[in-house]
Order: sequence, then C-alpha cells, then structure tokens
Amino acid sequence: MEYFSHSWLPFMYQYGLGGLLFIAGIIITIRSGSLNLNKTSHWRWFWTLIFGLAWYMSLHASLTLAALGSVNFAFILMGSVIIVSIFGALQVINRKRIK
Amino acid sequence: METGAATFHNIGTTTDWVVMVIYFLAVMLFGSYFGRYTKTTSDFFFGGRRFSWWLITMSIVATGVGSHSFVKYSAKGFQHGISSTMTYLNDWFFVPFFMFGWLPILVYSRVRSIPEYFEKRFSPSARFLATILLLFYMIGYIGIGFLTLGKAVIPMLPKAFVLFGVTFPVTLMGAIIVIAIITGVYITFGGQTAVIFTDLLQGFILLFAGFALFFIGISYVGGFDSFWSLLPTEWKLPLADFNKPPGFNFVGIFWQDAIAGSIGFLFMNQGLIMRFLACKNVNEGRKAAAVNILFILPLSAIVVGNAGWIGKAISVASPSVVSPDTSPDQIFVVVANIVASPGIFGFIMAALTAALMSTVDTLINATAAIFINDVYRPINRYLNSEGRGRIISDKEELVAARWASVAITSLGVVAVLAFKNFPTVYEAHGYFHSTLTPPLVVAIFFGVFWKRFSPAGVITTFVGGVALMIIGARYPAFFIAPFDHGIEMNPSRPYSYIRALYNTIACIGVGLLVTLTRDIQNRLIVQWKQRASSKIEMTILSILTSLLLFLVIIGTGGLGSDTLFTVLIVIVVPLLTVYFVDYKESEATKGLIASSIFEAKFMFKGSEPNDEVGEKMEVVFKIKDQDDSKIYFSKKDMKRMSAKLGDLVYLCDKRKWLGGLKSIHSVYGEPHNEDGIVYINQSQSETGLFSDGYILVAEKEM
Repeated sequence: MEYFSHSWLPFMYQYGLGGLLFIAGIIITIRSGSLNLNKTSHWRWFWTLIFGLAWYMSLHASLTLAALGSVNFAFILMGSVIIVSIFGALQVINRKRIK
Repeated sequence: METGAATFHNIGTTTDWVVMVIYFLAVMLFGSYFGRYTKTTSDFFFGGRRFSWWLITMSIVATGVGSHSFVKYSAKGFQHGISSTMTYLNDWFFVPFFMFGWLPILVYSRVRSIPEYFEKRFSPSARFLATILLLFYMIGYIGIGFLTLGKAVIPMLPKAFVLFGVTFPVTLMGAIIVIAIITGVYITFGGQTAVIFTDLLQGFILLFAGFALFFIGISYVGGFDSFWSLLPTEWKLPLADFNKPPGFNFVGIFWQDAIAGSIGFLFMNQGLIMRFLACKNVNEGRKAAAVNILFILPLSAIVVGNAGWIGKAISVASPSVVSPDTSPDQIFVVVANIVASPGIFGFIMAALTAALMSTVDTLINATAAIFINDVYRPINRYLNSEGRGRIISDKEELVAARWASVAITSLGVVAVLAFKNFPTVYEAHGYFHSTLTPPLVVAIFFGVFWKRFSPAGVITTFVGGVALMIIGARYPAFFIAPFDHGIEMNPSRPYSYIRALYNTIACIGVGLLVTLTRDIQNRLIVQWKQRASSKIEMTILSILTSLLLFLVIIGTGGLGSDTLFTVLIVIVVPLLTVYFVDYKESEATKGLIASSIFEAKFMFKGSEPNDEVGEKMEVVFKIKDQDDSKIYFSKKDMKRMSAKLGDLVYLCDKRKWLGGLKSIHSVYGEPHNEDGIVYINQSQSETGLFSDGYILVAEKEM
C-alpha cells in the first residue's frame, strides 16, 4: 500500500500501544478505587475518557483519509462537529438525570 | 541554524515595533494589576487554590502553546507538513493516570512540589535526588524557552546597531540576555496570580492571532482548495513516516513525546502542576485538563503549525517569495511578514513573544517554588534543629522566592548554551525530553501506582537509571540500537528521539528488578546489621559506589568496564538504601498512592469526607468578630448544602467571570438561624477580596 509506513502503520502503532496504555490506566485506576464507577460523577468521567480516545482516533483516521484523497475534507469537519455535539448532548442529559 | 539555510534580519516595519511595544506594556500592566493580590508565598506560587476550570484552561493555552512554540512547530510544518501536529494530539493516553492518580494525590496530600511528595512517600534522600533531577529539568526547560524566544526575535532585529559611535552586533545570546532581564523583572514582582491572569488574556489573543494568520495565509495562497492541492501528499498526512528521517520520524517522536513527554508534561512539569493546584478543587482540575487536551490542543496544533504549512504551499507555488531553503526556525516570522500587513504582523509577533514569555514566566515561578520548598525550607529546618537557625517569616520567604526567580532566570540563560547548536529548537527539545524525563517519570509512576515500590526502588531508579542512560548515550550503537525500530543512527546526534525508549526501559527495568527482589535485600541487610562493623562497612561501600558513579559519569573506562560499574551500582545501591533508610510501608503509602485516595481525602479534611451531593447557595456575608477560621451559615442553608459541622466549604463571589479570584476555603462552624447570611471574620473577607453588597455562592467541598 502506497504511503503505508507514513499513514496506517504509525496510526496502528500509536493507537495499538497507546490504546493498551490507556486501557491499563483505566483498569489500574478502577482497581485502585480512585476511579469509582459507583459515583455518578466518576461514571461521567469514565465516558469522557473513552470519548477522548475515540475522538483522537477518529481525528487521525479522518485526516489520514483526507490526505490520501479518500474523503472530502469538509465531511471530516462535519463529522467532528457531530461527534462533539453528541458528546455535549450526552453530558447535558446526564447532568439532568443527576438532578 | 541549519547549514546553508537562508536567514533573515530587519523583518518588519516601525508600525510593527510600535504595536509590539504597546502590546507588551498593556500585558505587563494587566499582570501587575493582578500581582497586587499576591500577599503570601501560597499566593505567589499557587494563586491561593481558588480558580475555576475555564480560567485555568485558558491560562494553560499560553503556557502550552508558548512552550511548544510557534517557532518549532512552524519549522517542522515547513519541513514535514501537517505531521508537525503529532505532538499536540497524543497526550490522551495517560490522562486516566493523571486525573485519578496523580492530581488527587497532589491536592489531598497538600504537597507543594514534586520532591516533597518523594520525601513523604519515600525518604529525605529520595527528595534530595528528585530535587536535583527536577531542577535540571526545569532549568533546561527555561533554557529551551529562552532559545526559542531568541530565535523568534532575531529575524526582526538588525544585524548590528550603533550606540555612541560603537557598533554592537546583534547576537542570539545578546538577544536572549535582554529578554531574560525583562522576563525576570516581570515574574519577580508578579507571582502566580499575575502569571495566571496574564496567561488568560494571552491565551485568547494567541488563539485569535494564530487563526488570523491561518485565514490570512489561506487567502494569500488562493483559498483552502488551492492550499490543500499545493501540498504534496506526504505533507498532508497527520503522522510522520514510521522511522525516517532520523531528524523527524513517527516512532522516535512517539516514545519521546507521547510517552516521555506527555508524562513529563502532565506529571512532572511543576509549572503546569501548579496551575492545576490553583484550581478550586480536584474536579475543576480534571475539567481544566480534559477541556485543554481534548479541544484546546487540537486548535493549538493549527495555531502553532500553520505558518509552516502555508510557507510550504507558498514555496511550492512561488519559490521566489518563500525559498525552500529558508531556515526552518525563521519560517514563522518570514510567512507572517509576507501574508500580514504592517501592524498586523507586529500584533502577531507580539502575541508570539509574549506567549513565549508566559511559558518562561511560569517555569521560573515553578522552579522558584521548588527552590523555596525543597532547598530553602529544608535547610532552615536543619539549621533550626541544630540550634543555629531562626523562624523565617512568610514575608522573608517571599523575598527569598523573588531572589530565587532572579537566580533561576540567570541559570536559564546559561542553559541555552547546551541547546543552541541543535539544528532546530524542535530537536533540542526532543533530545532534552528523551534524556531528562525517564527517571522521574518512572519513579512517580511506580510511586503512585505500586505500593511495594520502596526507597530502595526509587533511589536505584534515579542513580542506576541515570548510570544506564549515561552509558546508553556513550555507546548508542550497543545499547540504543536494539530499540531503534530501524531508525538510522545519525553519528553527530545519535537517536535524538528513540533514546527515550531505551532510557524509559532502563529505568523501568531497574525499578522492577529492585522492587521484585526487595525481600532478598531485606534479608541480607538484617543479617548484615548483626555484624559489629556493619556501619563502617556500609559507609565504605557508599564511598566506593559514589566513586563508581563518578567513573561512569566521566567515562574513563571502555564499554566493558562502564557496564560492569553500572551493574555494580544497580546491585549495591538498594542494599545501601535498605541499610540506611528507615521505611515503614504502611505509614509511607497512607494517602500517597492511588489505592488510598479515600485516606488521602480523610487526611486532607481531618475527618470523614462527606460526599453527599448538595445544592449551591447564594448568601450575603456579614463580618463577625471571631478568632477561628470557620464560617457560619444558617441551619436551613447547611441542610440544603447537605453540609455537616466541620465539613469543608468554598465561598466565592457570584460573578462567574471573575473565575474564582474572589473566594476562600473554610470550614462550617455552628449554624445560626438567619437564612441567606454567612458570618465571616475580617481576615477572611480580606483574603477572599470580597466586596460589600455583592452576593456570594457557597458550596460544600467534602
């Protein structure tokens, strides 16, 4: 594949190894009790953390696709805005539930 | 400067200089206004632990963007394209560890500096070594900041100027010294509150200036489609080539920045940590970190790198306007000058240099905090214990902090000498991070998340890890090459980035080995202590080990002897530590590791934390003559806040745009019956900067 060592290989390395470290971080903090999923606020933080990883993965994947000419750049921007909006909406819904 | 690269002088017009001077004066006046809120060393260093997340988020923009700099990312953007954003978009992996490990421990254990954590968690000797490593790291960082500032302003200055008939050449070091004097004066008299508010203003301005340059530049090259089509495919990809070239490759930068750099920045950058500690509580710190990393960093990546991308597009379309040979470290200034009109260029340059000054200010303030907390106070405590000292007042400490700022600024200028010969600031910074962060990063990580990690582990990680790093740097083809992922070794600067992988593995290996063999060390030392001459023998062994470390540092032997000495150091240091350091694991880890966060909260409050969710209450304050540090609400108000006697409370001016500047932390006292009224004393009113007639908002902390 053309540009493989410049596009998907670093992507896989970054999110493979980085993803493992991230999951290890989530597991260790949950097992140590510092991230306590029984608390509503911590549950929200847990999903914020997961969203963050997905957000960055989609950002890098979209930019790679755009660079390789696979998708329209505007589509990526639109997708990013939608993801952020959904996340924001979920936060608001969660907050209302707590009240 | 890269050999053969085209360099510039005298860029800009008189209008630009006028705009720059006005900008600087305005920013300094703005900072000085808030500097008047600095009354104690706590205010000077931590801004009084009172601010809202949004204020800290924006103030971090100026620090983060400044430190990562327009100069170095524009340089890499020009050389390699959009992959210059890599280092801004790889910080999320360690956020769980930070938000739910390091941050709450720092806040609840009330430590003022990272070395202080090492003393509480391990021993005074661990603190001593951590202080040395951290001071090296911080002063080196200040040096990088000054170098970047110098490189940013040099293109705008003439080659020489004449004063009283004498010609003075304008040199990089000369420019840096002048900048250092201005920076030092500002931070010395401002303190952390001034820095936070100056950074807040500059955070907004930086984003505005960066995007303004981006849109003006895009328009200059004929719109976004034209810009995008001018860039070669390699320049559009967001990640660099996996392992080439040696000066900019993905895998090296992943280990240097995403691993060592991200942990270093989040876990051991005292400047950034002090910002988070200035938040009103742990949750606000988490919000500040999340919003900054998720949304502000991607925006900042565009802000800092776009001049390089636009420069590349212009160099493809019109090589006569921007030469492909332009010095990468000057491309930001060159592009800004081409696409922006006079005045706008001055504004952009002012925003850039002021942001860089913010970074350096923050670092100087943070390093002064380390000096006061980990050198000045321990020495005074020691002198007092010997009967030769006296009690130092807070005012005297504040004066010492200001003098420390001056000395640190000077050392930062000296540190520039170590980095100024790298081809770009980016590579200097990469080399610096790869080399200095691993021992502390590994020690902090193991310390927070591994209960069994003991003083023997941490001290050997510092000493043995550094010895392994030194021999790795001396024999890279032997030690680092096995980890190089196919990166070609550049003999003049071998493995600038991927050395971080070797260094991290070396430090982790030492920490693991020592901790897993802890029981064997303890048994050996118990037996050894039964010998009558054990103390003399151990003292001699300490001297011999120091000698071995000295030999490794100066490198008198060959590969074999250096390796043998290092192995001996790794074997002997834990034994010496177990012998000399009195360590009780259950006491030392209480409230200082991730698995004891509840105990940490208990210790922070002094009683059982109250996590019941309550309402925020709007109240009016009244002054009451009282000597205690409590504040008094009505029974009904306390019930609505779900608060009990002795719980912690945060009282803040209702105006949200103040970001918590006018606020205090206190404890609930005996309730009264006047709803909507809170009784505080005169001192609390002054500390909180409360104004008569304004409504306050009270919320229970825990």
